[in-house]
Amino acid sequence: MPAAKSPKTKRSQIKSSQGNSADTAARELLRRAYRTMLEARLLEEKLAALYRSGKIVGGVFLGRGQEALSVALGVHLRRGDIYAPLIRDQAGRLAFGDTILDTLRTYLGSSLGSMRGRDGNIHRGRPSEGYHAMISHLGAMVSTVCGGLVAKRFRGEKSAVGATCIGEGGTSTGSFHEGMNMAAVENLPLVVVVANNQYSYSTPNDRQFACSDLLSKATGYGVVGHRATGNDLLDCLGVIGEAVAAARRGEGPQLVVADLLRLVGHGEHDDASYIPEAMKKSPLGRDCLELARQSLIEREWLSKEEAVSWHEAVEKEVEETSSKVLREPPPDPAEEDWNAFASPSLGRNL
Amino acid sequence: MFPSPDSPKLLPIIMPQLGESIAEATIVRVTFAVGDRVEADKDLLEVETNKAVMGVTSPCGGILRELSATIGESYAVGATLGYLEVSEEDAERLGLNDAPPASVEKPKKKKAPGISGAAEAESIKPSKKAVEPTVSGLPVPAHAGGASFLSPRMKARMAELGLHAADLAGVAGSGAGGRVTIDDLERFLQDLERNTISPASSMRVAVADAMRRSWTRPLATVVLPVQLDILLAHRKLQAVKAGPALYALRALAITLAEMPTVAGRLIGDRVIHPRSIDIGFAVEAEDGVLVPVIRHADQSPLVDLIERYNRLVELARARRLPGSDTGGSIATITNYGVFGLTMATPIPLPEQSILLGMGAGRITPFWDQDKKTFVPVTEAQFTLSFDHRVLDGGAAGRLLQRVSNLLGAPEEL
Amino acid sequence: MSSITYLEAIRLAQQRALKEDPRVFIYGQDVGVFGGAFKATKNLSKEFPGRVLDAPISEDAMVGLAIGAAVEGMRPIVEMQFADFSTCGFNQIVNQAATLHYRTGIPCPIVVRLPSGGTPGSGPFHSQSMEAIYAHYPGLVVMTPATVEDAYTMLLEAVALEDPVIFCEHKFLYYHLKAESLPATVGEALPFGKARIARPGRDATIVAYSAMVHEALAAAEELIQDGYDIEVVDLRTVRPIDTDTILASVARTGRLLVVGEAWPWGGVAAEVISRVATEGFGLLDAPPQRLNAKETPVPYHPALWGTHRPTASSVANSLRQLLEL
Repeated sequence: MPAAKSPKTKRSQIKSSQGNSADTAARELLRRAYRTMLEARLLEEKLAALYRSGKIVGGVFLGRGQEALSVALGVHLRRGDIYAPLIRDQAGRLAFGDTILDTLRTYLGSSLGSMRGRDGNIHRGRPSEGYHAMISHLGAMVSTVCGGLVAKRFRGEKSAVGATCIGEGGTSTGSFHEGMNMAAVENLPLVVVVANNQYSYSTPNDRQFACSDLLSKATGYGVVGHRATGNDLLDCLGVIGEAVAAARRGEGPQLVVADLLRLVGHGEHDDASYIPEAMKKSPLGRDCLELARQSLIEREWLSKEEAVSWHEAVEKEVEETSSKVLREPPPDPAEEDWNAFASPSLGRNL
Repeated sequence: MFPSPDSPKLLPIIMPQLGESIAEATIVRVTFAVGDRVEADKDLLEVETNKAVMGVTSPCGGILRELSATIGESYAVGATLGYLEVSEEDAERLGLNDAPPASVEKPKKKKAPGISGAAEAESIKPSKKAVEPTVSGLPVPAHAGGASFLSPRMKARMAELGLHAADLAGVAGSGAGGRVTIDDLERFLQDLERNTISPASSMRVAVADAMRRSWTRPLATVVLPVQLDILLAHRKLQAVKAGPALYALRALAITLAEMPTVAGRLIGDRVIHPRSIDIGFAVEAEDGVLVPVIRHADQSPLVDLIERYNRLVELARARRLPGSDTGGSIATITNYGVFGLTMATPIPLPEQSILLGMGAGRITPFWDQDKKTFVPVTEAQFTLSFDHRVLDGGAAGRLLQRVSNLLGAPEEL
Repeated sequence: MSSITYLEAIRLAQQRALKEDPRVFIYGQDVGVFGGAFKATKNLSKEFPGRVLDAPISEDAMVGLAIGAAVEGMRPIVEMQFADFSTCGFNQIVNQAATLHYRTGIPCPIVVRLPSGGTPGSGPFHSQSMEAIYAHYPGLVVMTPATVEDAYTMLLEAVALEDPVIFCEHKFLYYHLKAESLPATVGEALPFGKARIARPGRDATIVAYSAMVHEALAAAEELIQDGYDIEVVDLRTVRPIDTDTILASVARTGRLLVVGEAWPWGGVAAEVISRVATEGFGLLDAPPQRLNAKETPVPYHPALWGTHRPTASSVANSLRQLLEL
């Protein structure tokens, strides 16, 4: 399912921006991560445009500003792992093997998409490939991933990892709590990345939780905690890479908390006017995509020309795919079997 | 049963409910022997359930008088394991002197296990007469308990057989309120098979249907004796003779043109007026009655109607009456006098409110006030059968009176 | 061989499932060494080490875990300690398990066992019958076995089914119901989804399920002396409901009483009557009736509890009223 094989990550080759590793693997990882972030960004801009022109119905929730954190998890996962991304994880999804095509198909409700119009937008996945289709109730996917890991343990698959992301608001839910606790009790190779983007829709952190540092929850659950700078791709790659590796080594659940800022409304129907300007202008509000590009260019791991050509190539792919999908058929209610059951004996007459 | 005041108070030791869904427990240890004095709240014996070993404690102090529990045996929750002799005060306190509780474990049934282990305080004596509500506040619909109630099942079966409620008139109902049940119906039908049965002609079935429908209204009949001598004299002088029924038809037509609403229909709270004075007349035709119609009978004089009338009679008798010459009339004439009948109460057509009937003419004495003597006259009883929702006896009487007057001046018809 | 209780049948079914299918595991509170609050998994953790696991008090995560494991090919059985606590896992059951196949095409073959129904003194939170709530959601199969044999075969069928199954086992029947033997193969038994004529009759039909089947049978016995022959239909599953068998029964008798231990509003009885009124209107000789629990939470005191839900005598009273219509 991944478009290209992800390179094997050795023990945290990525240092912070002050580091000087010239390892080829690191360069490839960074270039791949950046490219995926770019795809996520441009794809989501297209989704926003389609929504505003009435082509997408329902909700559009974008991950602008969170691509670095998301992709950092996605690139460290591989076939056989289990991944349950949430709403701002377009970058992670693409890194895990989701495609621009299936994303557009799901948003536009094409009958050819994975969800066949039966669910839409970020509620998409291919569970048989380890890519879970989230439900809207935040926290529910934590224990679901745990279950997948328990199954793998039963089968003796020792090196698989399970991963999910959640916002700081989601950590308030009972299901998050139960899932984390369960993962710890079962000592599962689970990586949970908390994107603390300061606002849950319009609710600021001081109305969401009272602990001074979300990372203290790790102690509470009895799991290992890691802190990452959410809009710094290099830092995210390093920290999350280490967390995933630790999980793979059998060191139990890993909780990563990263601070960043959502650079977009809660949904495209929202203008985020409740986020203070000062916060938007602070270092927290810097765009991770720009920062990543600058890092790559500084290291001469990406030329300015490449950056431009990549941008153009991705934009073109997004545009062409979008045009193609817009011509695809929607689901036909007359063709649907309107049956929620998998068993052949359970037809419609119940 | 009840210990007398002098006999010792014996308190039964009962197997307690030792956990969710536990039904029985096995005795594993007996702590005391018969004759021992025991204190309150001390374990008398130990029992084992599926979950744990627990003690059965003494409810109060006393002397262990009887122990029927055997080690290794299982006893049901609520079973008596022995008896404790207790003091008067303890007996009083623990309710030993009271009547036995109404709630006792239901004895096990042979087939269905005694599931209702709990006390049942309810003892409703079902009333065979009143149908009690099953949902609080809402009684079972009253009509469901009445004699005329036809259940959906009954209706379905009757529809299958082409039956109507009228067909059940002779069936005694054994259901609630005397209603006819499906069993009553099936028995009735089966019983019919013992009679000779011949098929009813389609004419018969059609008439039956029409009469049944007509009868759903409140019908009444009034009678007026009409002298026919003048009419008969007039008729004698004609070259082409009209029948008495045609004379009456023409008289009725003129009368209805004068008072049309008596031939109207009442639908809800509205009187529907007749559109044109079309009058039908009954013709007997093989196993039934046909009703040809003279359209606009008020607009042609009698002499102009004779040919039309005779032709229609022929067609009707031959059962070749075209559709355009039947139906749509607002009133009907029937001359039952041809059968020798002097009086009848015929039933108006279902879509009509009035039916004018003519009895047989008879020579009968009539008191002539001037001559102060009885003189012979030819008299026939004319009846008006009518839907009493549309008109009353008075209007009916006036109609007959007008018809009678017109028949007394036949040159104006 | 001593007789087998309803509970033992459940235990034996789980044992067989664990033995014959390596994908099966059991997850619930106290199910491991302790053998479960009702001993439904007694000795199983010893016999099948590592496959009968103690869960923390986390019904949401328990079901979530089961779902995730099922997606990866396992066949988990989740034991809720009481049906009443399943509401803590309600979201995962109805929003993830029930929707997974419809949304993604991937089946969710989990079984959630709910010890259901009242026993004297259990009170409002240890007595509930939740079948109607779950049956409301398309995608869930809801089973309500009334006999020892059905508890056995239907649990085995539940494990084999591709769809999530809510298995409502009745706590009162656990130790009160016994059978001499169990069917050797699941194929010998009536398949799940088919209702059973527990007692053939002629004058009225009682449709019931779970413990109420036995109350219905006892009521039918009582009505013999009134001269009535009452047919009792055991639904066995509440979703799917075997409408055909119910309609055939009402066609025979013309009168319908539906009995359920749960509350009336929107319950199984309401569903059955709705179907009979819609599809079998012309079969009815009298308005269909239902008898359910009183409209209050389940009371604690046995005297109150005894009249809160239908009993053999209240069923018999309702029958008499129905027969007189």
